[in-house]
Amino acid sequence: MGEIYRREETPFPLYTIDLLEVSDDELLEASRELGLALNLEEMKRIQDYFRRAGRWPTDVELQSLGQAWSEHCCYKSSKYFLREFIFGIESPQVLLKGDAGVVEFDEDHALALRIESHNHPSAVEPYGGAATGIGGILRDVLCMGAKPVALVDPLHFGRLDYAHEKLPKGVKHPLYLFQGVVAGIRDYGNRVGVPTVAGSIYFDDGYVSNIIVNVGCVGIARKDRILRNAVQGPHDVFILAGGRTGRDGIHGVTFASLELTDEMWEEWRAGAVQLGDPIMKEPLMHACLEAADRGLLDGMKDLGGGGLSCVVGEMALAGGYGAEVQLDRVPLKEEELSPWEIWVSESQERMMLAVSQDRVDEVLEIFELFDVPATPIGRVIEERVSRVFYRGHRVLEMDLEFYTRGPEYCRPFISYRDMEEPKEVVPSKPEDYGKVILDLLSSPNIASKELVIRQYDHEVRASTVVKPMQGILGKECHGDATVLKPLTTSWRGLAIATASTPQYARLHPFRGGASAVDEVCRNLVSVGARPLALSDCLNFGNPEKPDRLGCFRDAVRGLGYVASTLELPIPSGNVSFYNETPASPVPPTPVVLGTGIVPDIRRCITSDLKAEGSNIYLLGRTKAEMGGSEYYGMMGGEGGEVPDVDAARLKASVEGLLRAMESGLVRSCHDLSHGGLAVALAEMCMGGDMGAEVRLDSGSLRPDIFLFAESNTRWLLEVVRGGEGRVERTLQGLPLTRIGEVVGSDLAVRIGGSSLVLALEEMREAWSSALPRLVIG
Amino acid sequence: MKKGDVKVCILLIEGTNCEEETSHVFEELGASPERVHLNQLVRDVPPELKRSLEDYHVLVFPGGFSSGDYVRAGAIWAARLKSRLLQDLRTFASEGKAVVGICNGFQVLVELGFLPGIGGISEVPQAALATNDSAHYECRPTLLKFENRGLSQPLSRFHKDQTMLAPSAHTEGKFTFPQGDERRMLTALDRADQILFRYVDVEGEYAGYPWNPNGSIHNIAGICNPRGNVIGLMPHPERSFYRYLHPDWTRGGDGPDGDGRLFFESILDYVMENF
Repeated sequence: MGEIYRREETPFPLYTIDLLEVSDDELLEASRELGLALNLEEMKRIQDYFRRAGRWPTDVELQSLGQAWSEHCCYKSSKYFLREFIFGIESPQVLLKGDAGVVEFDEDHALALRIESHNHPSAVEPYGGAATGIGGILRDVLCMGAKPVALVDPLHFGRLDYAHEKLPKGVKHPLYLFQGVVAGIRDYGNRVGVPTVAGSIYFDDGYVSNIIVNVGCVGIARKDRILRNAVQGPHDVFILAGGRTGRDGIHGVTFASLELTDEMWEEWRAGAVQLGDPIMKEPLMHACLEAADRGLLDGMKDLGGGGLSCVVGEMALAGGYGAEVQLDRVPLKEEELSPWEIWVSESQERMMLAVSQDRVDEVLEIFELFDVPATPIGRVIEERVSRVFYRGHRVLEMDLEFYTRGPEYCRPFISYRDMEEPKEVVPSKPEDYGKVILDLLSSPNIASKELVIRQYDHEVRASTVVKPMQGILGKECHGDATVLKPLTTSWRGLAIATASTPQYARLHPFRGGASAVDEVCRNLVSVGARPLALSDCLNFGNPEKPDRLGCFRDAVRGLGYVASTLELPIPSGNVSFYNETPASPVPPTPVVLGTGIVPDIRRCITSDLKAEGSNIYLLGRTKAEMGGSEYYGMMGGEGGEVPDVDAARLKASVEGLLRAMESGLVRSCHDLSHGGLAVALAEMCMGGDMGAEVRLDSGSLRPDIFLFAESNTRWLLEVVRGGEGRVERTLQGLPLTRIGEVVGSDLAVRIGGSSLVLALEEMREAWSSALPRLVIG
Repeated sequence: MKKGDVKVCILLIEGTNCEEETSHVFEELGASPERVHLNQLVRDVPPELKRSLEDYHVLVFPGGFSSGDYVRAGAIWAARLKSRLLQDLRTFASEGKAVVGICNGFQVLVELGFLPGIGGISEVPQAALATNDSAHYECRPTLLKFENRGLSQPLSRFHKDQTMLAPSAHTEGKFTFPQGDERRMLTALDRADQILFRYVDVEGEYAGYPWNPNGSIHNIAGICNPRGNVIGLMPHPERSFYRYLHPDWTRGGDGPDGDGRLFFESILDYVMENF
């Protein structure tokens, strides 16, 4: 190390760094050498602070600031825009915002929800990265005092048959990443006993270098047991519970706040990815919930990005106090960790509890019964300062306001409106629509994901009342949303769905963002649920590049537009920037986790056709909106109008459809998304193992456009024979068309003078064999 | 004995994860279940937490991944039980009380030598629940045909050939015997009437994957010990306790009860009649 570093005379490694009199270049050099990922402006702020303090900072202090001020921890590039478009959506149902958002479930219970990314770790080490992603999101929900009841995981990879020789240096093949990620989610989620109930898998070559792995969780708690991620007063003791602290996961957050370059693949691999241990997590959850349930905790927060260095300060500051920590009390996995390593390590399965002095023994007793280590490591102090001691030496002392409140930027951005729009290339009209439908059914983004879905335990806890696969036993098809009955004492249901819309966002970020909310609402309403609250995970490129940031801002604007019109709060979320390599960024990927309420689960509706003779209706307007569609992707179309959202009509449709469902006359319902009307029809037929005869009037549209357009705010309904009048009256004023009936064992479609007939078996073969063929061969 | 007096011990260690729903079904039926951590039976804990196995009538090993199932499913839990609780467990079973292992619990009972227990509780496992033929976790609805000819008193409310829907959710559920000895063991098991459930398809026929989700020999899904009071099965009847837990309930069906309910009712009836 250079001459600005001074080894202190301590019986353990501790350095101070002379930042007081150095040049800008040297400041940047120090940021790089220490792996802080801070820019010049930030380093100068640190320089100022320590000039005023009149001393050199320690390595512990600088490392802490590198964590606390990382994009990952303080959202410095995104907060400005989130505040502008999302934070303001008011809803009386939001009870608390913290590591997870808390919303009302019923009079006595609340839900905690959040979705976040684990992209960089999963790209480097797919199995461990995805597993610890699950671990992290569970803790976010747990620390609100809520019991996790559902996991979701929207995933994005390159195409599984991507040519090996085209892979950029250091990048792993999509098939390897896919298998690793799925196995990681499976082995962690299944072991920890929380059902994985929803998600999606999207393949696009834009994800070859950077995969997008998002994980979400929903939990439930009694309202009077909800915890804040804060201390309550100077009587509080910090108890560190769970796993031991080691060298794994050091610099995870700074790693996540950089673009991935080929040297980084190997360089970071050893340290930056944490090691998950679900069998520590499972009893840790039990013990934390038991302590929370008995009212013994003043506050709780999980150790995620930045480890102890973030959690202590954040909890203290949120309560309006400061903290003093004895670092040598932290139980370690291995000897000889430097104090800064202990302080910033992101070792998994750890929770921080704030416990009033007089309840400490009772809390420790609970953890002992569950064989989970729990250790008091510090206390709350009146001064708003963080002080850390190691073997009697003070190794950190900083004002919490300075330390924990990171910088915030409104960086320059270019809106997509200022960018060049791609020209539309309309593919020529196909001869055989039936063949197109079969090709779409076997295309990776539409084909059955059963191979993955059934590797996740979606039924543990025995509360999954509407499953992810819906229909006749052995012939199930994808549903739109899953429904849980989280309380044994109530029929009230919790519907969960996700949506992700990179295909639209890459062409039109605003509509991409808007479509994500539209889709998640469609999914929830399809099972009979009223949308309640969302959580968003926004995966974008480097925000220091104005076009990437413009994309982000527009997508957030789109999300905010639809969510605010529907008065749907977004009380939690996550932003993942720097998903790019020197070659290119990922497609802008807005992901939304949606929760909804079903007043009585016995009224739930699934997507499979139920009865011969029922009527089939199309609700919604079909337009020539082919931009980003699966059809264009498959047929060589380019550009095109991206599906727009009329939020007011979405709101009216949601209300209308829920009313129609209340009548009990709607037997099945399915939203139209990838592959449009034709694919949705095929899926309903396959799930119910029943045919349909449909006559379509495409109006001014070309028949193929009508069949495969992905216009938003559309559903297919199966209406009981004899119920037509009532359903039509209920949905008056909305675009509703009766298109056919349930009959036979073929899907028969007549449109614009042509017709097609597909047998159920033929469709099922195309749909169900595609993914196994790619994965297993 | 009255139903409310039937005390059910739902035993757990780290990684057990089906204890809540398993406890719930007994509670729903009016019995008195309690979730008990193994530490409460074998370790010095505060007196109010201390429990003794002899106070219970039913012992359930619920599903999950006890201790991560890292060595072999159920092996670590079984080893821990062997070293700390074996005599109590033997006594419990020898008194004719009901011992039930579901999924991971079945794996534990096989590892412990309680099942199949041909010729008595065995020192080493007589069978194994091996990795599924698909080589990965399988979470799917399975249909079981009840095959017992009368040995298993706790399940006497099932009729021969009655089918029960109970979801499977496991990685290691392929019931197997030592190589080369399969035929002899299977014959012994069948002769002794120790086969409880076999996987079938919707037509009620013995079928291969996915109806037999793991490739079990003879489509075996569940067995009992030679006395019939120690029961183990891979699928989860607690996950089909209510009709609305069946995967196809939105297609219509009769009443609020699911297929799995009878499994637990029958066990409780047995205890009420005999204790």
